[in-house]
Amino acid sequence: MRLSLILTERRNSFTFLCPSLKTHSTQKGIVVGTSNRIETVQAKRRKYVRSKYTLPEFLVFKLPLLIFVGLLYGMLVWTIVVSFSNWQGTAPNFDFAGFKWYRLMVGLDRFQVDVANNLKWLSLGVIPTVILAIFIAYLLELGSFRKLESYIRTLILYPVAMSFIVTGTIWSWMFDPDKGVLNTILRGVGLGALQGRFDTNPSTATYWLILIFVWQYLGFAVIILQASLRTADIHEMTESALIDGASRLRILLQIIIPNIRSGILVLVSLLLISTLKVFDIVYIVTFGGPGSATDVLAFYMLIATFQQHLVSLGAGIGVIIFLLAAIIVVPYTIYAFRKWFE
Amino acid sequence: MRSKSRTLTILVIFTLVALTVAYVLPVYVVVTTSLKTPAEISQRHYLLLSTNLQFKNYAQAFKLVLPALLNSTIIAFSVTALCALLGGLGGYYLSRTRTPFSRIFFIFVGVAMYLPYQVILIPLVQLMAKTGLALTHFGLIGSNLILNIPFASVLMGTFFLGIPRELEEAAEVDGASKIHVFFRVISPVALPAYASVTIIIFTQVWNEFLLALILATRYTQTIQLKLTEIKGSFVALYNLQMAAALITLIVPMFFFLALSKYFIKGLLAGALKG
Repeated sequence: MRLSLILTERRNSFTFLCPSLKTHSTQKGIVVGTSNRIETVQAKRRKYVRSKYTLPEFLVFKLPLLIFVGLLYGMLVWTIVVSFSNWQGTAPNFDFAGFKWYRLMVGLDRFQVDVANNLKWLSLGVIPTVILAIFIAYLLELGSFRKLESYIRTLILYPVAMSFIVTGTIWSWMFDPDKGVLNTILRGVGLGALQGRFDTNPSTATYWLILIFVWQYLGFAVIILQASLRTADIHEMTESALIDGASRLRILLQIIIPNIRSGILVLVSLLLISTLKVFDIVYIVTFGGPGSATDVLAFYMLIATFQQHLVSLGAGIGVIIFLLAAIIVVPYTIYAFRKWFE
Repeated sequence: MRSKSRTLTILVIFTLVALTVAYVLPVYVVVTTSLKTPAEISQRHYLLLSTNLQFKNYAQAFKLVLPALLNSTIIAFSVTALCALLGGLGGYYLSRTRTPFSRIFFIFVGVAMYLPYQVILIPLVQLMAKTGLALTHFGLIGSNLILNIPFASVLMGTFFLGIPRELEEAAEVDGASKIHVFFRVISPVALPAYASVTIIIFTQVWNEFLLALILATRYTQTIQLKLTEIKGSFVALYNLQMAAALITLIVPMFFFLALSKYFIKGLLAGALKG
């Protein structure tokens, strides 16, 4: 009852915020906050009554998060320590070994294969996905098939809910060189000559694994760009550009892409992080094979640690993965942080 | 737009057909293959639906995965519930406090959100082995929790930012504590946000593989692990593999299809603001 009283008292300022909340929910529920609304919230924040936490409040709100995040960073530091010690075999050994394992790592053929494969993942997992997603998001936004939009979205987004293990199992069957689906189709339409060995051909296997990734993440990429397009509200700009006689391709390149560049930036960062961490697809489809042709750092880390029992080497590979991820994650987080606080 | 050019229409239709083929084919293949006998699979009529549907493949696959299905359910539900509670509390702190410490802390939480699992795996295994948690479900619950709490907090925080502060200010003027405000004023308003976050976290934990691979014992095997085991031990029995794959994906797929609005909101919140 007290709350309802407050609401009537403060109705003016509350309804003042409401219109933006309404647009929030009407536009198919995927609109993100416009800068206007964030500014409104900002203005209110300065009047915030009290920001000190009492002890029980500290225990409830801050402590659990502090503990969990502290634990994570503690483990990160621990891994770094292990990578500089001399732990091989099952019994932990923390004698300082300097850069011994890093030097060994760089000299390993397998490590070089991994880095080359990781670079393939980083480039081919990201660039085609982003280009395709821009294209599809633009087509959807042109309004030509608005009615089909929810169909398309469900169609290409459903793999987001699936695990790499499930997708990998399914695509292994698609790729099976002898009886598999893709070769059967090729034979069926008279293109038997094009039959491939897919993931069993050492020189091209990685590319087929990357295809699975692109297939799985395309829908995710499209909805991010769509949301970005909606916030940018490019509709009027494109309309007037069309009237001025600009071609749709020019509109795409000169209006759409510059206007959604923050969305593209976010998408590229997320995809880079995901491709760097990819391990499940490799594990389930090829197990790093044939030979070590499809091996990646994230996979070799496990093999080194838990199969070869070179724990310090595994830790070192983990640290390398972390450093590569940090190059992307740290600027990205600072960017997100600005969006939050300013 | 008013006038659609012919090339545009052709482009649209082409895209539509290409996407439909690319995304319906795998599902179609899974369903048809899972309803065949092994003999039918090796007879090269892979794409047609069998005339004699083998629903017993599902019975067989279900019997194989049932214990793992239960394990995954226990783990995913526990982690999701704890993440919603703790993530809500942490997210409230992140979204409502502006101190120098909280600003730096936010960056740490944000980086932790994308920490590659490999970089904490060794200490995590040590920790779980030392505490004996690795032998029970608590091992996987704890590990998943540690790795999902930063994500849940940031996600809930982004949603809390969208809630008008009038609500809590009024209550605070009346002298209510933050805890009271959080549970009585904010949380009820944020229920849709909780729905999004729980769906996303549940799906993530259900689909998690790396931790299960390293930490699960025979008694805590998760569904993803069981699926890889089935794929490895029934190499030629694609019918069984596909049936098991379908059972594995049915739970997250239900959430995706039935609650897609919350699912998409969760995905976007994680991507665009976090």
